[in-house]
Amino acid sequence: MGRFVLRRSLFSLFSLFGLLVLVFFLSRLTGDPAALYLPVDAPESVRQAFREARGLDAPLLAQFGDFLVNLVQFDFGDSLRRQRPAFDVVIEAFPWTLALAGITMALVLVAAIVLGALAAMKVGGIFDRISSVISLTAASAPDFWIALMAIFIFAVALGWVPTSGTGTPWHWILPIGVLFVRPFGLILQVVRSSMITALSSAYVKTARAKGVRQRAITFVHALRNAMLPVITVAGDQAAGLLNGAVVVETVFGFPGIGKLMIDSILQRDFAVVLAAIMLTSLAIFLMNLLIDLTYAFLDPRIRY
Amino acid sequence: MKLARWGLAAMASTCLITPAVAQDSKSVTVVLTEVLDVIEPCMAARSDVGRVVLQNINETLTEFVPGQAELQPRLATSWEQVNDATWRFKLREGVKFHDGSALDPADVTFSIDRNKNAGLGCETGGKYFGGMTFTTTAVDDTTIEITTDPASPILPLLLSVLPIQPDSDPADTFTTSPVGTGPYKLVSWDVGQSLKVERSADYWGEQPIVDGATYLFRTDAAVAAAMITTGEADIAPNIAVQDATNPDTDFSYPNSETSTLRIDGLLPPFDDRRVREALNLAIDRDAMIGTIFAPGVEKATQQVPPTTIGFAHDLKPWPYDLERARALLAEAKADGVPVDTEIEMIGRINIYPNATEVMEGIQAMLIEAGFNAKLQMYDVGEWNRYFVKPYPEPRAPNLVQAQHDNAKGDPVFTAFVKHHSEGVHSAMSDPEVDGLIEKATLASGEDRQLLWEQMFTRVNDTVIADIPLFYMVGFSRVGPRLDFKPTIATNSELQLSQIKFR
Repeated sequence: MGRFVLRRSLFSLFSLFGLLVLVFFLSRLTGDPAALYLPVDAPESVRQAFREARGLDAPLLAQFGDFLVNLVQFDFGDSLRRQRPAFDVVIEAFPWTLALAGITMALVLVAAIVLGALAAMKVGGIFDRISSVISLTAASAPDFWIALMAIFIFAVALGWVPTSGTGTPWHWILPIGVLFVRPFGLILQVVRSSMITALSSAYVKTARAKGVRQRAITFVHALRNAMLPVITVAGDQAAGLLNGAVVVETVFGFPGIGKLMIDSILQRDFAVVLAAIMLTSLAIFLMNLLIDLTYAFLDPRIRY
Repeated sequence: MKLARWGLAAMASTCLITPAVAQDSKSVTVVLTEVLDVIEPCMAARSDVGRVVLQNINETLTEFVPGQAELQPRLATSWEQVNDATWRFKLREGVKFHDGSALDPADVTFSIDRNKNAGLGCETGGKYFGGMTFTTTAVDDTTIEITTDPASPILPLLLSVLPIQPDSDPADTFTTSPVGTGPYKLVSWDVGQSLKVERSADYWGEQPIVDGATYLFRTDAAVAAAMITTGEADIAPNIAVQDATNPDTDFSYPNSETSTLRIDGLLPPFDDRRVREALNLAIDRDAMIGTIFAPGVEKATQQVPPTTIGFAHDLKPWPYDLERARALLAEAKADGVPVDTEIEMIGRINIYPNATEVMEGIQAMLIEAGFNAKLQMYDVGEWNRYFVKPYPEPRAPNLVQAQHDNAKGDPVFTAFVKHHSEGVHSAMSDPEVDGLIEKATLASGEDRQLLWEQMFTRVNDTVIADIPLFYMVGFSRVGPRLDFKPTIATNSELQLSQIKFR
């Protein structure tokens, strides 16, 4: 197991390095930051001085060399826009996204697993039909629409929660509620179909024949075996959230990493883009490692 | 059953929640639709920074108040012209920065140098002082002489955009805790979240009624507007037209922006005046008001709003006359002008609401008139290649979507850059216009006004350099407890000291 973790870490390190190199060159293709940062009236002399002061006038390979030297020291340079170390900017935003994604995924998994398992117990029953409609609707509704409707109904019309922002636990209800919807719909579907397969397998029939209670069959025997595809999809959804719930962060004024990344790409703030990609890639690598280890835990046939 | 009880308990508990509401004290909450990423005073020419910093935290030597003929004193109590290139400013006595240091000529020099420091890339310096060198001389503790090259007859007006910072601010980086002389001082800035200011007890002027403000940032204008409705905030200075639905709380105001299409008059077929006239006649401006442009916009006749000195009031908006446009094109074609040449319409995504729809609409109108128009919508970086010199070569003749802000009341902020042969946004070359701009820039008083009028008349009537579209409007939502009406200045600043309570 230790060797597996080491091997995966090394491979991920290479992937991460390749990704950063790719992003470095691709981001430079987006154009000259001086065109965005300086007023349109600024004369060329001012633009040139701006480039020189930030090393943007150097040949691309020289810039890349500097980038590699600084990367070893974990220094991504200063944010063009904020004139502060880019890594500081990213590290301030990351906990917000991490908390939002973590709480949301925990709630999604509990709700989707319980409801998906219950739906699979009686295929075609009323509960199954209702959960199918809910999950398909949830999986296909656009985030921004849900967010604005949620604000209008729960904050403006009913006055139950604040419209947006941070500061109290109540401020988290709407963003988490909106983020919850799509992964819940998807994972509920996966749990349901996976459980239907598991519940029709031979070992479940054997358990039934031996007189084991249905609840124990469903939640102990079948569920554990049905979890592998669920974990794969849940990991995919969690990675999406870690990359940033851009729409939700934008609408609710959450200072997370998704919005930061999009803004930085649009602003050609290369240092922040690279720092943000490195941090989220690391987080996703750790999560994937955790998923692999969970596979082995759930299925004794899987050994690394 | 147990589940139902839990559900009811949860519902009951949510009913007890009181969302964070705007303070019922004398503090106000302002919700901005841009996330403030810098609060450096030399960036205050950017409207998002200006609304927080300008005249609240950092003040200027002079103050331009739209609608008032005279420039108002602020940190300078008086000023006089010593010679063509030099002005002497008398600083207000007894003014202290929030850190306790006294305002003196060194702070003025520091603020000017800061704005001229190309390494910092200050918005104010780049926008207003590009191509100008400054020399300062401290005459005594409260008097400073400022010399410019080239000479500027409107230097006092120019200095109404320059926030004064103490010379203790970092010289080579942006400050994240601005210190000023204004009626409010910074309390905290939680990046991306909120910013708080409170009244400065040591302020030299009259103490304002509002004792502090919290700025919140919501990039979705619908959410910002909703926050006023729920009482979570008091003012949303910039909301979208589609969210301005409540006549009791929502105001439209002229925002000093003028939307235009710049005609590339240097290339055929646009080097023919008849073609440029046909472009203007082919556009049905009335059809766009209240549809793809907000209700309340006014048809434009020139690059500056009517509050500007030297505004040519005799110019009339172009009528919609499709037949005349077609006839002019036919006439030009008969004389060998290549009117069938493909023309490029260069649009900028989100330059204003419905920017793409506006360009699509105009493209359809131009095609109907007989032009061979192709539309490209770009983000700001790519659009800049066509908007700012040097223009790409070779290029197709183009029409560039633009919007220009001149809230300062003098065409000098517009004329050279837009209409002079050497202006960085100019796509025209007319020696008479160049001469008028050069003369007007150096003139003062009534001469200045007349020269600017002549210049605008020639540019828009004789030359026809642009397709003026509209004098634009902005929308604000103001909560019921405040007595505040947005004005043309709200686009660039929001002076808390002007807010009162009902």
